[in-house]
Amino acid sequence: MKKILLVTGIIFALGIIIFIPGKRMAREHVNLKTAVTDHPLLCTNCHLHMHKRSPFARFDQADYLSPLNLAVSNDGKLVYIAAQDGNALLVADVEKGKVIRKIPVGNKPHSVIVDKAGKNAYVSNQWSDNVFVINLDNYQITDTLLTGNGPAGLSLSSDEKSLYVVNSYSSDLTVIDLESGIEIKRLTTGNNPTGATLSPDGSDLYVTSRRADIAQYGEPLVSQLTVVNDKSKRIKTYLGMESAYLMENVAFTPAGDLAVVTLIRPKNMVPSIQVERGFMMTHGIGIIEQKENGRIIQLLTDEPNAYYPDPFDIVISPDGKRAFISNSGVNTITVVDIDSVKALIAESTPEMLKLWPDHLGISSRYVIKRISTGANPKGLALSPDGQTLYVAEHLEDRIAVISADNMETVKTIDLDGPGRITVTRKGRRLLNNAGRTFQTQYSCYTCHPDEHEDGLVYNMASKDMGRNITNTQSLRDISDTPPFKWNGKNQTVFKQDGMRFSTVLTRTEPFPYPDLDAISSYIMTGIKYPPNLGFNPAGKLTEAQRRGKTVFERTKDNLGNVIPENNRCITCHPSPYYTNLKQVDVKTLAASDDSILFDTPHLNNIYASPPYLHDGRASTLEEIWTIYGKEDKHGLVGDMTKNQLNDLIEYLKSLRSPDYDGKSTQIHEAALNH
Amino acid sequence: MRLRTILLASGIVFMILSGIFLVSCGKKPMDGMIIITEADNRAVSPDFVSGKLWRYIPESHLYAIDPENTQKAPESLTGNFFSACSPDISFDGKCMLFAAQKSKDEPWQIWEMDLSSRKVAQITTGNENSIDPAYLPGGQLVFSRTIANDSLKSGHSLFTCNTDGSNLKRITFNPHSYFASSVLKDGRVITIGRQIFPEEKTAAMMVLRPDGTKAELFRQNIDGMEFFSRGRETADGKIIFIESGKNTGNGRRLASISYNRPLHSLTNLTAGITGDFSSVFPIDTGKYLVTYRLSESENYSLFNFDAESKKLGDQLFKSSDKSIIEAVIVREHQKPRKLPSEVDKGVKTGLLFCQNIAVTGLSSPENVDSLVADRIELIGVDSLLGVVKVERDGSFYLKVNADMPFKIRTLDADGNTLNGPGSWIWLRPNERRGCTGCHEDQEMVPANRVALATKNLPVAVPVHISGIKEKQVELE
Repeated sequence: MKKILLVTGIIFALGIIIFIPGKRMAREHVNLKTAVTDHPLLCTNCHLHMHKRSPFARFDQADYLSPLNLAVSNDGKLVYIAAQDGNALLVADVEKGKVIRKIPVGNKPHSVIVDKAGKNAYVSNQWSDNVFVINLDNYQITDTLLTGNGPAGLSLSSDEKSLYVVNSYSSDLTVIDLESGIEIKRLTTGNNPTGATLSPDGSDLYVTSRRADIAQYGEPLVSQLTVVNDKSKRIKTYLGMESAYLMENVAFTPAGDLAVVTLIRPKNMVPSIQVERGFMMTHGIGIIEQKENGRIIQLLTDEPNAYYPDPFDIVISPDGKRAFISNSGVNTITVVDIDSVKALIAESTPEMLKLWPDHLGISSRYVIKRISTGANPKGLALSPDGQTLYVAEHLEDRIAVISADNMETVKTIDLDGPGRITVTRKGRRLLNNAGRTFQTQYSCYTCHPDEHEDGLVYNMASKDMGRNITNTQSLRDISDTPPFKWNGKNQTVFKQDGMRFSTVLTRTEPFPYPDLDAISSYIMTGIKYPPNLGFNPAGKLTEAQRRGKTVFERTKDNLGNVIPENNRCITCHPSPYYTNLKQVDVKTLAASDDSILFDTPHLNNIYASPPYLHDGRASTLEEIWTIYGKEDKHGLVGDMTKNQLNDLIEYLKSLRSPDYDGKSTQIHEAALNH
Repeated sequence: MRLRTILLASGIVFMILSGIFLVSCGKKPMDGMIIITEADNRAVSPDFVSGKLWRYIPESHLYAIDPENTQKAPESLTGNFFSACSPDISFDGKCMLFAAQKSKDEPWQIWEMDLSSRKVAQITTGNENSIDPAYLPGGQLVFSRTIANDSLKSGHSLFTCNTDGSNLKRITFNPHSYFASSVLKDGRVITIGRQIFPEEKTAAMMVLRPDGTKAELFRQNIDGMEFFSRGRETADGKIIFIESGKNTGNGRRLASISYNRPLHSLTNLTAGITGDFSSVFPIDTGKYLVTYRLSESENYSLFNFDAESKKLGDQLFKSSDKSIIEAVIVREHQKPRKLPSEVDKGVKTGLLFCQNIAVTGLSSPENVDSLVADRIELIGVDSLLGVVKVERDGSFYLKVNADMPFKIRTLDADGNTLNGPGSWIWLRPNERRGCTGCHEDQEMVPANRVALATKNLPVAVPVHISGIKEKQVELE
């Protein structure tokens, strides 16, 4: 008995001895990681949810569906839903209020359309670079149409003999002859296009673009609407939308007198010194008059103290009276009275029309209702009779059914996704929601659409208001590439999104720790690169890429001289993420920059992140060296031939995620075997 | 025997502890009660500048009434005070702030009452009057206080402090008087501000962050109207308040504005109602508590009010010989956002950026004509602070002493005044503030372009501060 007591006592004493310094060490560790001193000391907060290869990570996974876009059958009885994360086309029976079919499709389906006869559905598989043709009588995949990179928006030609496919990653438009199933044309569009809609008279196809034209910081921001003549299948014109980007979708009034796009008007060139008075982001619509010398007019859908970020889809009622816009960042559908818009335009002088795009109060003239939805409303579709609006609640795994007349939600259709909300799913919702920004002016998603980056360079107003402009960085697959921020000052995502983030960016109460844990978890584990199908579809390098790899890894220059180790590409950019995780000086500081080192960026999928360098001064990868690297301080390139530089660029474009495991092929084959 | 004793003792201890537990964790003793301020019905006009007979109500007292049983005699809460008014309930519904004076000759101070025990604690001290308290998130409060011989020539300034009185900070720094503050759900303080130097001006509803930064106009009074009560935010995004003036026709009226668009959404909720209102407090969406009287000869009583039908509801309570001038409900309610602060006392200046001085009123930003200012003049309380050349795109960028009021006047190239001077502005230490234009339409946002002024360092005003060695604050 005594021995037992003695042993117990010793264990207890040892426990006490270990516990006190152990707790202190744990506190120091957590303080270091979170950059605060009061984050709860709970190991599971981080070690269960922050490591994508952790054996525990699978406990926080669930197979969500994530409906993105949808279409309604011609009789209005069925809704076809592209389930982005479910890799499926779901068929929901409106009356029964449930899913009746789940058809496996390709990787990350983006859009679905149905032909006039209601016989076929076309589904764009954004991460598979193809479109599936699905027979709606038997739900069999009858054809696979090859596309460009990242197929997104779809439209049939007016005679339904051709299919237009918007290639969102390669920024072009595929025209497919449906009889042969072969791509017959590839037309260049604006930067990062998504939506495509044919005008009511079938004459023109409008294609939106999300990213603005690449331009030097300070140059006017312009995003292009591409207009294609349906008959000739040729580009008719490009319409520049000034001071706007993230034009996701476009709709026409039934009479065809107006085309309306969703858009965001960013303030990236205005010092980010406050959120008040729309100093960071505003959101609205662009209106293109469909007549000779038709004007392009922009109007905001925000209000002076309330913002409605991330407008995604737009549909217009068959009577042309109302436009419905999904505001993904605030779980809202905005209803716009089209007649009021027309009246405002008619009575406005040219001076006023220049003023309205920056006027928050004018929306009271035409916004007639805000309808609340579930998490992250994306695609919209109206029933053929215009009575019912369907909303893809992207992060709710649900379809909202809204009475278009009463502008009230009538019911919801549960898509039968996982019932539980995992920590990472909660984090994804938070990242996509503006609720934690002052007056909901923007969400993380606004500057990081699709968890990537928006291609803009921002005046973050560090110290003084014109200094240290910075190029937005991608959030994709960054977990293994700490530290973060362009100067590497944030050792963890916790710190990046913590107190400082709220002080200088969101300017409202910081994320409560459970929310900060969730959003950090999502960023650390949940954001994948798309497969690099454009430049490295099968993991095998082309001849030019192989030559470029040799250049990338070379240790001697063309004259046989040894290249100093710190001036070799491979030294700072080693695989698998092509970063050595260190800060360096590559002599690209601008006069307006503080003297500081740069965090070595990772290079996977680097082709998708123009412009380049910390302040976005290089429009292309080539310009990093041909214009801004002539002193050979950012790697030795001065001895290279033009062909060698071309090869190096080809190789850089081929870099892709080390985690890419052919899943796209597996999903594709699974769908075809359906 | 011993076991029985132990069991008995344990049972007694358990019962006592259970009793304590039930008392402390059960229904809050005053949850759902209405706290009213009762005072004599004085047929005199309140002084909106000094606050006398408006925010300072002599011999006023707080009482608790049970809305379920209004026949029951009200419970006096502040019998030990000479005057007590302006109650504000904590977000958890457990405590109440109020302004009170112990005796007729003592200054007004801010007090907090534990609504369970009715114990009071004095928060503010000193010889100055402190009134109109309102809870801030994070264990703080905001209130109005006079400052004797203030070099800034202010009347009542706004202060914040912890609920134990520590961490006292002044947050307004201009020659204005601020009264009747409350806190919006977005975390900002909404207050009634009036310029008092060099001349008195009409009051306006202002908003500012609790650290005193980003002060801006929320609602401009029109047609000689005066804001009479605190603005209270409702669950459905309205700010409701009482306003009075010679044009109201029916005395003090109940009005609302929308949070989303406060400058252009005024709704008179009592257009068809004869009589006066003195206060309003939101109950539920569209349902308010109001204090109302039919005529000046009557006392104010407590009523329900339906905002949708714009009709006065049942009379809830009437005092036999006094007026009920304000009322609040004791209940847990939504805590506003706790806003982060950019203020750094180690920095002695703030930065002010204007994108285009040519943007005024509804003018077009493109309309740069000969009337556009060539320079601006900064005017302090006692002296001119300097003249700064405006960039050719209309922008300017200033570094100004923190916590110092100044006005801006626009001048042409010959030094002639074009506009202004405008309203008093101040910047907090390390604050960085931006304006789209100069007295521009407040609903305008900046154009997305690089302003020439931001390509250079800020112009220091007054010039001598350019030599200040500033602490470097890392931002983004």
